[in-house]
Amino acid sequence: MSEAILYTDSPTMDVRLKIWRFDSTTGDRELKEYEVEAPEWATLLDVLDIIKDRVDGSLAYRKSCRMMICGSCGMRMDGGAVLACKTRMADIVASGRVPTISAMGNLPIVKDLVVDMTPFWSKFRAIGPWLRPGYDRPDDGKEYRISQERMNVIHKESLCINCGCCVSECNAMESDPEFLGPQALAKGMRFVGDPRDAGTVERLEDYNDSHGIWDCTRCYYCNERCPKGVDPRDAIAKLGAESIKHGIDRDMGAKHAKWFVKSAMTTGWLREAELVPKTQGIVSAIKQTGFALELARHGKVPPPFPPHVAERVKEARLLYDLVKEQGRDGALGIVQGEHALARIEFLEEHGARLNAPEIQPGVEPPHAEG
Amino acid sequence: MAVEAKHDVVVIGAGCAGMRAAIEAHDAGADVALVSKIHPTRSHSGAAEGGINAALGNASEDDPETHAYDTVKGSDYLGDQEAIEILCQEAPGDVYQLEHWGAVFSRTEDGRIAQRPFGAAGAPRTAYAADITGHVLVQVLYEQLSRRELKVYDEYFAWRLVVDEDRCQGVICWDLLDGGLKTIGAKTVIIATGGAGRLYVGTTNAYACTGDGMAMALRVGVALEDMEMMQFHPTTLAPTGVLITEGTRGEGAYLLNSEGERFLKRYAPNAMELASRDVISRAEQTEIDEGRGVEGNVLLDMRHLGAERILERLHGTRELAMTFAGVDPIYEPIPVRPGAHYHMGGVDTDVWGRTELEGLYAAGEAACVSVHGANRLGGNALMETITYGKRAGAHAAEWALTHTTVAVPESVERDAERELKQLLARTEGERPWRIRDELAATMHENFGVFRREEQMARQGELIAGLRERYENVVVQALELGFLLELATCMVVAGRARKESRGAHSRPYDFPERDDVNFLKHTLVRWRDGAPELDWKPVTMTKWQPQERTY
Repeated sequence: MSEAILYTDSPTMDVRLKIWRFDSTTGDRELKEYEVEAPEWATLLDVLDIIKDRVDGSLAYRKSCRMMICGSCGMRMDGGAVLACKTRMADIVASGRVPTISAMGNLPIVKDLVVDMTPFWSKFRAIGPWLRPGYDRPDDGKEYRISQERMNVIHKESLCINCGCCVSECNAMESDPEFLGPQALAKGMRFVGDPRDAGTVERLEDYNDSHGIWDCTRCYYCNERCPKGVDPRDAIAKLGAESIKHGIDRDMGAKHAKWFVKSAMTTGWLREAELVPKTQGIVSAIKQTGFALELARHGKVPPPFPPHVAERVKEARLLYDLVKEQGRDGALGIVQGEHALARIEFLEEHGARLNAPEIQPGVEPPHAEG
Repeated sequence: MAVEAKHDVVVIGAGCAGMRAAIEAHDAGADVALVSKIHPTRSHSGAAEGGINAALGNASEDDPETHAYDTVKGSDYLGDQEAIEILCQEAPGDVYQLEHWGAVFSRTEDGRIAQRPFGAAGAPRTAYAADITGHVLVQVLYEQLSRRELKVYDEYFAWRLVVDEDRCQGVICWDLLDGGLKTIGAKTVIIATGGAGRLYVGTTNAYACTGDGMAMALRVGVALEDMEMMQFHPTTLAPTGVLITEGTRGEGAYLLNSEGERFLKRYAPNAMELASRDVISRAEQTEIDEGRGVEGNVLLDMRHLGAERILERLHGTRELAMTFAGVDPIYEPIPVRPGAHYHMGGVDTDVWGRTELEGLYAAGEAACVSVHGANRLGGNALMETITYGKRAGAHAAEWALTHTTVAVPESVERDAERELKQLLARTEGERPWRIRDELAATMHENFGVFRREEQMARQGELIAGLRERYENVVVQALELGFLLELATCMVVAGRARKESRGAHSRPYDFPERDDVNFLKHTLVRWRDGAPELDWKPVTMTKWQPQERTY
């Protein structure tokens, strides 16, 4: 009898799954199918335990807390990263699906579901993951005085458990393994957004270097797959906004973003013809003239003249002014990701007033008044 | 096998106590390394949810003396009062330091560290970071570790202490990723390996909590203190014991029986849901045993707190309840029951973390200083890891810096290697999980919230039988070997304590506390393959035993 079955009278189910087994010493890779009996409440981690105990003791994976806080059991189910301890099997079994379990992506596999986390931690260290104390240290030796609203700015970033699910799914890292990546950059935002940290400008300079924030392709897979609601892509967006606020805009990515704002404010549209010179510079733009003309000839870009102005451009300008007036500079101007929006909807539905940590300080959420 | 490396101080375990000890030893000038079978941020300290106790006085008037009194009373007078006073005096400064390092605490209206009421505390004293306080502290300590570039032998399973010339001089480890034994020499060794909750089937503890450090100390002749004192947390989720924080009750949640009654009014009419953990666990177990439970549980009801408060301060708790019990606490009460949570007992140390073996220290849950006595107050565990981690680190560094040599005799390494080879070569015999599951289930039945002499005696025989069956392969089996010895110590100490005190409740034969005969600590040492019982007096400074009511 398993520990689980001894302890509960829970009905059981037959769980089937496939696991990509891998042995780095021989390089052998094999997809093996397993079928075991498990209690109905079993998670993926419980099922792996049953397999390891009773079917094949050589199966390798990491685990510890089994309650979504230690971050050990990141792995892929059907190609997407999950925490095994957070993944209940009952619905999957009921649907008849036979999921395929494999090691996380973007990290070298050591054995079966165990990956080498060394690259992950070296990026973590590269962002300088400790507070650089600087100013306003209280004279009385007690704590810094900081409002809850101010701390809320880094609430989500401080939820990170270093499981690596975001890194596993990062598309930018797949094409540029040197990219600092979603976890390290979310950690970076945790310090940039902390009023106790005196290293803001140096940090932003560092994170703006090559392989930094502007390498992100904004695919949002990290937000999608993070099991803790950290929303790393939002953190990267906040770092971008903070960089521009501090005048750190040397990267093409920053210039690109700035031009989007300028375009929307002036014409209500994206002024695409000017985007290349504004982002990449005149020389590069001239080199690409031929390509641009080809695009224009095929109707892929509007001609630059006469300027294409949206009918209700005034609204775009008003929105711009509104954001400015509210003082939503830098990180505070970033609209939060789906998790936050889901939460806003939940609160609205249930009539609770909005005071949730996801919402930025001093700002009513975009559609709270509806 | 050669000695892999030598350091001044080696810390085994990299949770809050281990990391705090390493930082202190490093700052004192020692060459420090940590050994941990899991990466430091995976440590189970991160699962501490509710908070950390220090008399900061941010939510109401408070002072270290009140904190100390609450702790003494909470311990059912078994806690050593000198150790408790040190803890409570140093706690505020230690918490401010964590905050200066960047710990993301929740805040009061005026921007100070927020504090919430916790069980059996005379003031709202538990500083918190929503319901992820332990996680926040693990992160900040790991950040400080990174800043100091401390060496971590991570995914090294510490198996055996090196003792030579009556001194602890290092540790032999199994390298989990590369395989093979590695010896790390050290002038001083600090055990900070946490608890042994995996002795029980329903436990809040991680799979990693197998009491490794306690058992390693036991095997080199060091005494374990008050091992019968295992705390049962009143609010754990069926079926596996996932923790629901005491912070829920701190925020105002109710405990109800099947009749919808707040039954604590019959057990702790003043403190109600904020009585001490042992009191509430017994009350719950009584309700369940007398047929007023709901499928073996009672109900934790926080609906009246409202969605907003639950989402802001108990967000993680809601996530746990939804994932593991399928219940959204905004709409429904959560079924909870007592589960094994924390070992008040551990390696016997003085107030600097020193054990009776020179060069060997212990801190945190693995140690018994003893600040928790027979029952720990919620929020005191994290505080102990920080304050006593710091103190052990300081003393271990000082000793290491004034002594120069480390010697690891080759015979020690050879013995270890031979023993491991024998284990690995074994192809017959039982798989460890059967023994593990049987141990965990029977401990729950026979050494749980309430204890009977005949059940404890039966458990003793059962463990002896399991130890005979115990033989097998590497890590899981090594952990199981540790657990079996610890369980033996617990039963021996539990049977010897013929009274009811704190977590050790014997309602059938010894229902009362007996200060005349048992106001003293149990000590168990391992001699010739068997446990040997001894006693040690309680250190008292200001407070004489009183009747304990809440």
